Amino acid sequence: MTQSLLNDEINRQIVDVFKNLSKPVAILFFGKQEDCEYCADTQRLLEEICQLSDLLHLSVFDLESDADLAQQYKVDKAPSTVLAALDDDQITDLGIRFAGIPAGSEFTSLINSLIMISNRDSGLSQASRDFLKAITQPVFLQVFVTPT
Amino acid sequence: MLAHQAAMESPWVEAEMVEAMEFFELSDRYGVSGVPHTVINNGAGNIIGAVPEEKLVAELKRVLSKEK
Repeated sequence: MTQSLLNDEINRQIVDVFKNLSKPVAILFFGKQEDCEYCADTQRLLEEICQLSDLLHLSVFDLESDADLAQQYKVDKAPSTVLAALDDDQITDLGIRFAGIPAGSEFTSLINSLIMISNRDSGLSQASRDFLKAITQPVFLQVFVTPT
Repeated sequence: MLAHQAAMESPWVEAEMVEAMEFFELSDRYGVSGVPHTVINNGAGNIIGAVPEEKLVAELKRVLSKEK
């Protein structure tokens, strides 16, 4: 049996913060068959995380054979992970994605975003919410990070 | 992550966290050296480093008024 990617200590910490999860979250993983060094590990990592809570639901897709779905979720790279709200089998795309293996600081962001989506609350100030709610033009934010 | 929080508040906002080394051509295109580096609307705006939400809002206001 292959060794798990998350060690016992990290598992424990995640189980602990996952006590803050309230509503279901859909996780859509998009991989591809070739030229994807981190696809297998990313999928496994997501599988291990999802095992730690019944509120997390993982679906695995392929960038090429599920091209229509990838386009719907604006996914054009692999590995990509989409985090969405799940209510009674209805997925609400919030425009929240990760590209690349969520390791290092990205891992913390992944866990935090899962909790944020589960609680259906951005946690931003009222002023920021008011500004964002009034936007009627497309905004695409790409945040470049490194795993160290 | 702040960008994800912003995406949560508006159907017009999308936020993608990108691992810079796996996607180095993309990082290069935007001149990413220090991280985190937030690229707004394919280069219309940039924020280097982690900033408070007021700073993101200010930069979004600047970019969006330019693009109107």
